Amino acid sequence: MSRESILKAVKANKPDALALPNIDLSVFDEDINLVDRFKENIEFVGGRLLELNGLDHLDTEIKRLYPEAQKIVSCTKQSGLGTVSVSKETDPHTLEDIDLAIIKGSIAVAENGAVWVSDEDMFVRALPFITNDLILVVPKNAVYLHMHEVFEVISKREKTFGTFISGPSKTADIEQCLVVGAHGAISLTVVLY
Amino acid sequence: MAHAEAATKFNKNEAKVNWHDKALWFVRQKRDRQAHKIQGWEHLRDYASALKANVLSNLDTYLIQFEENAKKNGINVHWAANAEEHNKIVHGILQKHNAKKIVKSKSMLTEECHLNPYLEANDIEVIDTDLGERIVQLAKESPSHIVLPAIHKTKEEVDELFQEHLGTQPSGGNPEYLTREARKHLRNKFLKADAAITGVNFAVADTGGFVVCTNEGNADMGAHLANVHIACMGMEKLIPQEKHLGVFLRLLARSATGQPITTYSSYFNKPEEGKEMHIVIVDNGRTEQLSREDFRRSLHCIRCGACMNTCPIYRRSGGHSYDATIPGPIGSILSPGKDLTKHSSLPFASTLCGSCSDVCPVKINIHEQLYKWRQIIVKDVPQPFVKKTVMKAAGSVLAKPKTYDFVGKTARFMLKNTPKSIINSKVNTWGHARDLPEVKGDNFEEWYKKRQKNE
Repeated sequence: MSRESILKAVKANKPDALALPNIDLSVFDEDINLVDRFKENIEFVGGRLLELNGLDHLDTEIKRLYPEAQKIVSCTKQSGLGTVSVSKETDPHTLEDIDLAIIKGSIAVAENGAVWVSDEDMFVRALPFITNDLILVVPKNAVYLHMHEVFEVISKREKTFGTFISGPSKTADIEQCLVVGAHGAISLTVVLY
Repeated sequence: MAHAEAATKFNKNEAKVNWHDKALWFVRQKRDRQAHKIQGWEHLRDYASALKANVLSNLDTYLIQFEENAKKNGINVHWAANAEEHNKIVHGILQKHNAKKIVKSKSMLTEECHLNPYLEANDIEVIDTDLGERIVQLAKESPSHIVLPAIHKTKEEVDELFQEHLGTQPSGGNPEYLTREARKHLRNKFLKADAAITGVNFAVADTGGFVVCTNEGNADMGAHLANVHIACMGMEKLIPQEKHLGVFLRLLARSATGQPITTYSSYFNKPEEGKEMHIVIVDNGRTEQLSREDFRRSLHCIRCGACMNTCPIYRRSGGHSYDATIPGPIGSILSPGKDLTKHSSLPFASTLCGSCSDVCPVKINIHEQLYKWRQIIVKDVPQPFVKKTVMKAAGSVLAKPKTYDFVGKTARFMLKNTPKSIINSKVNTWGHARDLPEVKGDNFEEWYKKRQKNE
């Protein structure tokens, strides 16, 4: 292994120590309506925002939006629509024909329309990617302005896996034409309640 | 082949060049709109640059810290001094698992190391799963852009490739249809893969985790389905602390494609129960670049491609004209460090306009480094006879005011009075596609003197 020789070469070749900058977050402050900004961004990235007052009608709304969905995984007690049950032990390959996954998102980011989804909320890591359509359910008081705030909020989590999801999967690799639905979910709805 | 020569080939299809030029400029404009939308963009660039400078000056310490934390989380860490060792390490891991079918998401590092041909020679199937990369893989080409690998291909060309390799129907290049077919084709590959290889966008020293960004979701589809995940990273991908991801994730996609963030930014800290995760840390010339005071800042690069999208030369010459893994302005300061003779024409493939440095999210002084490489190259690499002679002549003319005045007068007289067929003759490369500017009466000095006399 080249570990020692690499580290030795780095040590010999690196410049004199430069200090770690102190980041003054006040330069990124903006006095805006967080939900409005989030909505603007999630629509920009091809997602849909559904604002609800409480979750009493969540399932009705989901059925209205995805009337064709048969194979549904619900990773949250907030929805009773699940038809396929999933646990940490589920082989992800068995999820290839899932129509819809409903997952809790713990944080929404106003500046970029992203939602942070953690390992424990998705049960199986492949789920939010392999499902045809995806719904993320996020409380309204969990919308933050920017990524600096978000990393502060999630800093104490158990660090296993997590992902920021901003919109449905997409590509523009054929002549720069935007096509929604590459390898991951082909639609994304974020429910803010 | 020198860059100019390769660029001439690309320029044979004028309509395609014009499209390429405009498409990339459009991406540049999208970048501007996103950058101007958020508060404190220039502060973000300053912080990112200072963070990367701090990383380079403590790189050994951060590497050790990263390794220690990654191992604590059950991730296997490997070290490769060069491309060959990297390929051997990856192959070794695959052999251990008897893995024969591999899916790979975008990683410029594995392109740099020529991993695919190495694995294929060892009887392993490697499928590039980013749509653009799959297109160039089927075409047996290399990516022409680090973020938009197939930007040099027309939709009709993709249509033909897919008909031949994926058995699609002729669609006249319908992007929706072709993308759907690619989704089906690659989904099958994801489901059958024995192992997944991904790149690394950011590796975090204080957590031992790493972040992979995609729009298509291909890195996640591969990594979460296969039992083994191998992440390959150049050693400069480190950042000090998790909170600094805030700075870099805000800059990356905005600079790259004008999106506020990539669709997926996945943060891997621990392997999933029952699965294996490996990280290969690669040097391959990076420590050498670190030793070069004038060029070490090139290691700040986060591979967003903004310098390519804005570069007037790149947009009109295409990525393949650079004949290097990383094309464009940033590639032209990285490549000479690896092979000065092979890449000696690249630092000249620039107008030195500085647009690359202006858009760089980590503030690399790209155009200044291009200029510095030129100084080295003219000393170390034999230059063409004509160029050498012309430069020498120009040097002596510019050094002597009287000669300069005489030559200037003569040139103006000639330009006014010589027929165009002679002025735009073969030796005048400038005149191949355009006319020389019209000559007005006086030179600046004459004009200025007259003006002083109030004539």
